Amino acid sequence: MNTGKVSNKVLVSLLFFAAVGLITGLFSGLVRLGFLSDAPTQPVSPMAHGPLMINGFLGTLIGLERAAALEKKWAYAAPVLMAASTVLLLAGPVVAGQWLLLLGSIGLTLVMSYLYYLQPKIYHLIMAFGAASLMVGNVLYIIGYPIYTLVAWWAAFPMLTIFGERLELNRIMRPPKQAQRLFAGLILGWIGALALTHIDRTIGWTIASVLLIGVAGWLIKYDVARRTIKSVEWTRYSAICLLTGYGWLILSGLFGLWHGFPTAGPLYDGLLHMIFVGFVFSMIFAHASVIIPSLSGKLVPWHSYFYLPLILLHGFLLTRVIGDLLWWPVVRKIGSHGNVLAILLFLGGVLFQLVSASIKKKQRVTQS
Amino acid sequence: MDLSALDRTAIAGKLRGVIDPELGVNIVDLGLVYGIYPEGDVVVVEYTVTTPGCPMRRFLQQKVEEALDSMDQIEAFEARVVWEPEWNVDMIKPDVEFFAHPPPRAQV
Repeated sequence: MNTGKVSNKVLVSLLFFAAVGLITGLFSGLVRLGFLSDAPTQPVSPMAHGPLMINGFLGTLIGLERAAALEKKWAYAAPVLMAASTVLLLAGPVVAGQWLLLLGSIGLTLVMSYLYYLQPKIYHLIMAFGAASLMVGNVLYIIGYPIYTLVAWWAAFPMLTIFGERLELNRIMRPPKQAQRLFAGLILGWIGALALTHIDRTIGWTIASVLLIGVAGWLIKYDVARRTIKSVEWTRYSAICLLTGYGWLILSGLFGLWHGFPTAGPLYDGLLHMIFVGFVFSMIFAHASVIIPSLSGKLVPWHSYFYLPLILLHGFLLTRVIGDLLWWPVVRKIGSHGNVLAILLFLGGVLFQLVSASIKKKQRVTQS
Repeated sequence: MDLSALDRTAIAGKLRGVIDPELGVNIVDLGLVYGIYPEGDVVVVEYTVTTPGCPMRRFLQQKVEEALDSMDQIEAFEARVVWEPEWNVDMIKPDVEFFAHPPPRAQV
């Protein structure tokens, strides 16, 4: 008996709020870069970029994905709170919005801990640490820590979630037990290094950067993507997204070893977006063909068009990072606007394919 | 239900059309289908998913139900998710080829 099953309408509504978090988060990012700088008031605060992208978008989406998997009504509290926080952050009562996003992250931590309780495996533990990282970041955010001191915890949320998911999926590759222990050790060490940044930012981030390169190297070696890149359609596409995403992780690690963990300015922008755009959005592109059917029940028909946003995503990110490294604000601006364009083109492509398939299906039913 | 009419092979064959999009393999060869049996007038398909947090659970439930619904000889069915025994990679059919076919295509 699936007592926790909720209707597709509820799922789609929450997906809608995740999309609102994404779109407004992207818009807020553009405002940070000077978009609408002449306007007397900004429709979305430039300070909302991080909270909207991490909590409003990723928190709602990942919380929704887990709740739908568990089919427990209480598990939906996390994405509902995240969605409500998005609305409040946008509508004005920012403090209430911040508290809701903290509650949402506590809810998500409980959900992920419950998953670990159900199946105490290392991949569930890594994902639970991911949710707990979001919670830590949100606690620091609420008590007023500067964003640069907590942003690593926010980044750890999608990163650890993805690391755990890839380890889980790559069981089919049967990595040796020793390799699995190494992966867990690298990740636990990386979390420890993030904590160390609060005591010594330079040493902590240096260790974190080395371990991050190790994690990326492990994923490249053991991920099924190296095989599936020879496949076709979404499978090949996903493999390319995964491998390029791991590539950006290595570059982020090297960047961290070279420049440390900046607290502001172009280098800070470059490092964060290598992680959030280069790795996290690559992973979102990689998993879209699975995430969307898992929540909507509808497959996204493949089209080679999807390579366009992928190429633009990486091309413009490279442009942005070059602009950051060389202190060329215009180049950085072009790159960041291009990143937004790439994400919107990807989303637009997904929506177009879903709607087209739906129309064609209706036409077939009418004709038969 | 006439138990002799329950053709497990035919049902398993139908369920081979249900592909786990994450792995590109059908759920029978993945070892996810644990049992096909009658329970009164109802055909019960017991299956599992790869983890309790598997995002594909809802999708697979829908596809298993669609597969069973498409069989004329089945009047009533239940697709039941079970957690025991816990699935592991040793349950996968030997020599199965992952991603042998592209992820299932939507009807276009």
